[in-house]
Amino acid sequence: MRKVLPLILIVICLGASFVTLDFLPEIGDPSSKPNTHTTDYYIEHATTETNAANMVTAVIVDYRAFDTMYETTVMFIAGVAVVLILASHPERKNRIRFRKVRKKESRDGKPVYRTINKEVVIPLIEPMIMLYAIYVLFHGEISLGGGFQAGALLGMTYILDVMVIPERDSLIRLPKDKSTALGGIGTFIYVLTGILCMAGGGVFLEYEKLPIPMHALEKHSTGMLLVEVGVAICVMATIITILNGIMERVHFDDDTD
Amino acid sequence: MMTQIETILAGKGIYFLTLLLLTLGLYGIIVSRNYMKKLICMNIMQVAVIFFFLCFAQKNSGTIPVAMKHIVHAVEYINPLPHGLMLTAIVVSLGTTGVGLALLTRIKEKYGSIEEKDIIEGEKQFR
Amino acid sequence: MSMLMLEAVLLLALIAITLVVIFNKDLMVVVVTYCAFSFITMFLYIVMGAPDVAFTEAVIGVISTIYFIMTLRNIDRRCK
Repeated sequence: MRKVLPLILIVICLGASFVTLDFLPEIGDPSSKPNTHTTDYYIEHATTETNAANMVTAVIVDYRAFDTMYETTVMFIAGVAVVLILASHPERKNRIRFRKVRKKESRDGKPVYRTINKEVVIPLIEPMIMLYAIYVLFHGEISLGGGFQAGALLGMTYILDVMVIPERDSLIRLPKDKSTALGGIGTFIYVLTGILCMAGGGVFLEYEKLPIPMHALEKHSTGMLLVEVGVAICVMATIITILNGIMERVHFDDDTD
Repeated sequence: MMTQIETILAGKGIYFLTLLLLTLGLYGIIVSRNYMKKLICMNIMQVAVIFFFLCFAQKNSGTIPVAMKHIVHAVEYINPLPHGLMLTAIVVSLGTTGVGLALLTRIKEKYGSIEEKDIIEGEKQFR
Repeated sequence: MSMLMLEAVLLLALIAITLVVIFNKDLMVVVVTYCAFSFITMFLYIVMGAPDVAFTEAVIGVISTIYFIMTLRNIDRRCK
């Protein structure tokens, strides 16, 4: 009964939505409504107006930059929320006592991830990922990629670093207060670019009015680069913050305590 | 034969499969009693929604939305607007997953389990 | 084979993985299968001509799997 009743509900939902499929446009039709109205303008004017060959980047950080600003802020707030949720342990008297005590699964032998060859992983793989991240960040306008991907790659480098190197040997560690602050800095760089445009006499995030002595198209490229650096820093810091928050409560096999 | 299948797929087939994926995710959220499974099923629903949105962007014989010199017409490029919207949605989904996992860790510390039945039983101790 | 049929095959694979996620009892299997899910999703995005989205999904899928596995150290693997 518990599994059949949702199944009936799901079948009713599918049947009801099957009726609405008639109103959806045919896939691959170039003259359908989603493909004709504003997007033709974006495609035809992206290169000449924003100096960015990659139209996705042009749409994200130039035409719809105000939208992306709040997406970045949402990421920052998610990082802060993780830190706040995991800020304290529940009080002992409020915890539920459970009758059956969970016995630790017996793990014999060495932990598996000790077998990673650190001399190979650290000098080779991490700089390559970081170099690739920087390439993706700075070439986001003319080829695939952008701030979000670069930030995620940088965060992945940090995750690899944390997983493999013990704390005493590492070059850089970001505790959770510093990484949260770094996320705020990333969002702040984004907003600061918009305010710089206002200082030049334009509206918020109008890159053509940036107060730098440059050609108008170059100003567009500079503004997009600044914004993407902000996005990358914020995404990287949020990934590190969530990792720090979860990592505090995890006990590994080779913990020395 | 092949062209018939393609016509069905272009008209309704892909949309129907996407809706099936969405409703299967919903079914998983309702049926499973483990909170971690519920979180994963929520992610699956999100992928279905993102795919549904990207379906509108497709064009027959269109290339990827990176401008090239010898291609000038807007018909020949895939629609970049849904890509931009969904790219940010995917990144934000990582943030929501992180918040969900933090909540899971807290629930485990307080109730000693993440099964729905155990949590409802444990909550009775406070009454 | 045209693009639409390839998309249909990949979508069927996604549906099969969803069934595994719903009906399996071992959470580690579920999480690793979810990693395969995001990998196939990446292929799907490439096929439909969205390489930017596919790039993001490839990186984000790996990171979210790492988060899931780290949380799995705290909680029981078995589920009822």
